[in-house]
Amino acid sequence: MTEPAPIRILLVDDEATLREPLAAYLSRQGFAVREADSAAAARSALLEESPDLALLDIMMPGEDGLSLCRHLVEAKDLPVILLTAKGEATDRIVGLEIGADDYVVKPFEPRELVARIRSVLRRSHRATPVEEDAGYEFEGWQLDPLKRRLTDPEGTTVPISTAEFRLLVAFLDRPRQVIDRDRLLDMVQGREAHLFDRAVDNQVSRLRRKIETDSRNPYFIQTVRGGGYRFAADVRRITGGTSA
Amino acid sequence: MMRLWPRSLLGQVLLAVAAALLIAQTISAVLLYRSSEQRRESAILHSLAYRLESSQAERREAREHRFRRDDDIDSDDKRDMRSRENHDRRLPRALRLEITDSSPLADGEQRDLAREKALRTILTEEDARIGDLVVLSRDPHHDAAFARIAGTRFELPDGELVIAGLRLTDSDQWRVARVFARNGDQRALQTLVVQTAVLYLVLVGILALLLRRITRPLAALTNRVERFARSQDTEGQIEPTGPDDLRRLITAHNAMEARIAAMLDEKDVMLGAIGHDLKTPLAALRVRIESVEDEGERARMAAGIEDITRSLDDILSLARVGRASEPPERTDLGALAAAVVEEFEDMGQPVTLADGPRVVAPVHVTWARRALRNLVSNAVRYGGAAEVSLDREGNEAVLRVADHGPGIPADRIADMMEPFARGEASRNRETGGTGLGLTLARAIAEQHGGRLVLANRPEGGLVAELRLPME
Repeated sequence: MTEPAPIRILLVDDEATLREPLAAYLSRQGFAVREADSAAAARSALLEESPDLALLDIMMPGEDGLSLCRHLVEAKDLPVILLTAKGEATDRIVGLEIGADDYVVKPFEPRELVARIRSVLRRSHRATPVEEDAGYEFEGWQLDPLKRRLTDPEGTTVPISTAEFRLLVAFLDRPRQVIDRDRLLDMVQGREAHLFDRAVDNQVSRLRRKIETDSRNPYFIQTVRGGGYRFAADVRRITGGTSA
Repeated sequence: MMRLWPRSLLGQVLLAVAAALLIAQTISAVLLYRSSEQRRESAILHSLAYRLESSQAERREAREHRFRRDDDIDSDDKRDMRSRENHDRRLPRALRLEITDSSPLADGEQRDLAREKALRTILTEEDARIGDLVVLSRDPHHDAAFARIAGTRFELPDGELVIAGLRLTDSDQWRVARVFARNGDQRALQTLVVQTAVLYLVLVGILALLLRRITRPLAALTNRVERFARSQDTEGQIEPTGPDDLRRLITAHNAMEARIAAMLDEKDVMLGAIGHDLKTPLAALRVRIESVEDEGERARMAAGIEDITRSLDDILSLARVGRASEPPERTDLGALAAAVVEEFEDMGQPVTLADGPRVVAPVHVTWARRALRNLVSNAVRYGGAAEVSLDREGNEAVLRVADHGPGIPADRIADMMEPFARGEASRNRETGGTGLGLTLARAIAEQHGGRLVLANRPEGGLVAELRLPME
């Protein structure tokens, strides 16, 4: 995991008890960390040097993390990961709507945070111009990426796991293309550490069980001989997400 | 009988008023009927007496006939005026008084002793020298004199002839007087019925209007309370209407609602603050232990922090359940169960999902998932493995989690759903969890309008059922 130049991270949190050890940990992991104890301090730090990614605590006195996040995303086009104490879905949606790339819930596993940082940076390097929060539609099914909600043609919610969500997004981003297992694994690996060494096929078969009428004779996700899968339906992007 | 008794306030009051009115009207009807019967009776007797005496009062009769030709003798008796219509069908003159040689009492006829006695009293007062007195009543169509004199051209309503025969002490001849008495007092009864009906309509109408003024705001308040019990927000409070007492009740209720909503909001803010204040230092601790060299030590510390976090999450969730910010969504429960089961599979735990029908119900996905996750994790913890199945029973979706563990003693089942209760088998924290799992699952079931049912399986082990309404 050695990089030519260290990745620069701006860490904004008013709580020194968390900020200092976290900065030390990230430094040990090879990141160049700059600390700020408030949104104001973060703004002045940004004037001096632009980091590669920002880690923001949401709850801070004065200007809060969400407001700073909006500024960073809109003015600086900077990848942002939010640190939040609440696990409520609404907080996550607000954060992602504002433009944050990801979020972690305190107390997080430091290793998971590092994995997320790498994943977010990888995604931002890919430079996907498509609107991130646009919804997907395929043959009546809809996927709202912000709420991570999949609905069938009747409008019934079909709960899926995070891994399945990522897998489906990977398919929906590349309809009718053959994607091999390694690439799929690369795109899907996220917070679930166990996914790193778990076969993609397992996830694919789980996803099939949820969206295929007959999972033994799949219609949407087809297995391609020679190692890979193909999403065999047309996908439409819906701006503004799906309406419930 | 019980079904006839109305359940609503409006129905009960109307029924009570109707019953009271009926009793009052019946009493007055009986009194009225009895007094009119008495009047009728005395009119009949006086007519008879007058006719029998007419020879003694010839002068008077002559004078009367001069003035009121063809009129009934009792007509000059003011007291009897009102009851005229009861018996005063004008009988042909010849029938009113007849002089015969024999008693009018035919064989087999009953003497009307009560009337006889009353008539005797009257006649005695008039100084009649009574030799023999007979009173009887007879159907006019069976009366020979009536048939002879009146024939068929004389039509009478239902009734009877009251016939009195008098033989004076110094005479052999009978004087026979006839009076027609109509049956019953139907007219009075009819009036009474009409009167009662009108009273009913007016009273019940007015009462219904009045009561609606009371029951309508009451019904609105009831709906409101039910809604508030579900949503706990002050949106859509009702305006105070109706009588003052009700207005005050509604105003007081609105104030209470506002207070409850404010307290719940405060609670949410407070819980958010507690969560933040505790989770930030926990996060710091979690980061710090990464620098611990000893790997085993570090894993134990991480597990400790995870335990605290889980307890904290359970407590915060329990306090927040029922305050869902979004409406429930129609959800494929099969997919939901699969998602939960797969989480456990990923951790290498023996959890299976049985094939079942497709069941869709409106649920809060995150909460329902959490409830099921708690049940499965209990089954794994105490029963070693979990079998999850999904069924539809009537209007309920049933998520069933069964294990092969020791189960729970029957008398402890209810206790198990209380906060911080744990099975005896696991007093220690290692396997015991927080003790909030079932409490939370039950709270979530109730939040959805459903319930959590625990039961021992006959073949051993425990089965926990999450029953959620499908509509």
